[in-house]
Amino acid sequence: MAARTPSVTRRARRPARPRGRRAAAKAATRERITAAALHLFASKGFDATTTRAIAVRARVAEGTVFNYFATKEDIALHFFEQEVDSAIAAVRRNARLRKAPLEEKLFALIQSQIEYLTPYENFIGAAFVQALRPSSTLAFSLRAFALRARYLAFVQELIQESLPRHGANAMAWAAPQAFWIYYLGMLLYWLHDQSPGKQNTLAFLDRSLALGVRMLRKGTLG
Amino acid sequence: MTRRDGPVRRALRMAAMGAGVTGSYLGYMAQSAFLSGDQRAVRLKRAHTRAARRMSDELQALRGPAMKLGQALSLQHGVLPDEMLAELATLQMRAPGMHPALVRAQFTGSMGREPEQVFRSFETTPFAAASLGQVHRATLKNGEPAAVKIQYPGIRDAIKNDFTWFRAISKPAQLSRHLPPDVMDELEAQILAECDYEREAKNIAFFRKGLAPLPFVELPVAHRAYSTDRVLTMSMVRGAHLDDFLARRPSQALRDRVGERLFELFYFQILELHALHADPHWGNYLFGSDGTIGLVDFGCVKYFQAPFVANMRKVFLYAGSRESAHFRQILEERYATSGTRLSRAAVRALARISVEFYGRVYPADPATDGIPFDFADDAVIRDYLRESTRVGRARATLPEYVFLGRAESGLYQTLHRLRARVHTSAIVRKYLR
Ligand SMILES: Nc1ncnc2c1ncn2[C@@H]1O[C@H](COP(=O)(O)OP(=O)(O)O)[C@@H](O)[C@H]1O
Repeated sequence: MAARTPSVTRRARRPARPRGRRAAAKAATRERITAAALHLFASKGFDATTTRAIAVRARVAEGTVFNYFATKEDIALHFFEQEVDSAIAAVRRNARLRKAPLEEKLFALIQSQIEYLTPYENFIGAAFVQALRPSSTLAFSLRAFALRARYLAFVQELIQESLPRHGANAMAWAAPQAFWIYYLGMLLYWLHDQSPGKQNTLAFLDRSLALGVRMLRKGTLG
Repeated sequence: MTRRDGPVRRALRMAAMGAGVTGSYLGYMAQSAFLSGDQRAVRLKRAHTRAARRMSDELQALRGPAMKLGQALSLQHGVLPDEMLAELATLQMRAPGMHPALVRAQFTGSMGREPEQVFRSFETTPFAAASLGQVHRATLKNGEPAAVKIQYPGIRDAIKNDFTWFRAISKPAQLSRHLPPDVMDELEAQILAECDYEREAKNIAFFRKGLAPLPFVELPVAHRAYSTDRVLTMSMVRGAHLDDFLARRPSQALRDRVGERLFELFYFQILELHALHADPHWGNYLFGSDGTIGLVDFGCVKYFQAPFVANMRKVFLYAGSRESAHFRQILEERYATSGTRLSRAAVRALARISVEFYGRVYPADPATDGIPFDFADDAVIRDYLRESTRVGRARATLPEYVFLGRAESGLYQTLHRLRARVHTSAIVRKYLR
């Protein structure tokens, strides 16, 4: 019965999970373009990378790139959306984490984001600079806001399920916003971490999350 | 800002930023070096009962590296009374505990594979705390049980920061006078070496081979294929910790046997191996009900130079007067090897410990070799601590002593708790030949 349902009726505003061979091929092309772009962003820099170069590397026509992404920023955003989705899924998939303390859940979330980003470390550094520009759609577009909101909603969800009675205090209310700033700071720390296996980032994450969650529990900065 | 302020401020700033988030290990390690086994045991027991509060304790510990170093210094020189030392000792820190997500991240970041890919099974909750991390039970693919020691991330850098910071503040102050730079260097080198589990695996291999002539000692096998600088996979050594061993009320004969073996193990290491397992922490000895001794933790190992051992051979069981010119010459010889000139006060302190402690515990006359020394005597520990503190105060501390002394006092503490009777001189004499 489900198999007979025409895939068209399933289409939402955002492209739904691809069904069928055609959709799979489209998804594969999208990923090929994304991978090619990321490789070039990392090696040549974001600005210096042209759509043409992306098309050549992805072995598609330049016009095809535009069928999938309107701008280079869109490609980058697509990558970050996938990064966030996969990290959220990883936390949700892990049954043991459900009963873990909040600091461990947040650790697992950020840790799986880092794992996702690791192959593209050079690009993340470049994206940071790019995102600082007032005109940057990477940071200031509707789509970027939506992504951040989705991510922070998940963080809020984790906080709520661990500290249900703390919802009312001011710290808990501001926590997701604070978490976003913390997350960006953590990424910078990670980018500059020269220690083997970036273990200083692990220590930094562990200690700072423990401290942060403690403050959240007490509802004060003290 | 003067140049001297630079590293201090930098260290403080880094600590504030969280770069020094792992806190001060230096204080812990430095103190451990001068603490007796019993004091450590007390501290550890307390630490265990407070496991639930550990996280908050750790956070408090981040505040005072300065205080910890102060403690380390006062400990060494016996400036403070014993009870106070015991109290201060409880303030020491261990590596913070790691939750399973962090354990996984640190393991995978170091090994390149997940624990489940490497082992048949892996327990995410640790069965023992380690000074720099924690130890997990695992089963190898071939079914053998294993102990996997995993280090808390970023320890090395935290320790280096501590030392940079400490050197900076100790220069202008008078602290460096009390803790000579070469002792300081020795401490840093040893503590950093303890962070390298690959080195520890090499130590295990060295000791396994070297201790083979002592059939009553059981050592782990280091599985190098599943180890890195931060992860050490070993075979599981069986046996009970001293407390549990004693709780089963072992007979005097068994306690004597274990005591003699521990004692022989100590002198065999110095005189035959020229190397010493120098961490007398009670958790590192696992006693079998048949008198076997399991030895773990080869992080803190001291390798001696041949001239130092040769000199020890002359001092051990010295037959003449320990106040003679000849004995003094032997002592001066020993200190000359490390470029230290002995002060009058130092010579006096060394002669004194020789007469008051060693002469009594290790009678030189072979005719008395058949009479065992009874370590149940309370005075043994007291005398040893009093006299070795005097040596420290006279600033006669050699780098070698830091770890030799730590191991030696640990040995006496254990023998005392065992209430063992040991043929001290006979055993030493066996290896002097
Ligand atoms: N191979 C082993 N078999 C059994 N127990 C072990 C083994 N290795 C370590 N342990 C236990 O774990 C504790 C901590 O390990 P250890 O090597 O002493 O760490 P650290 O030197 O960092 O303190 C030990 O005191 C011991 O009780």
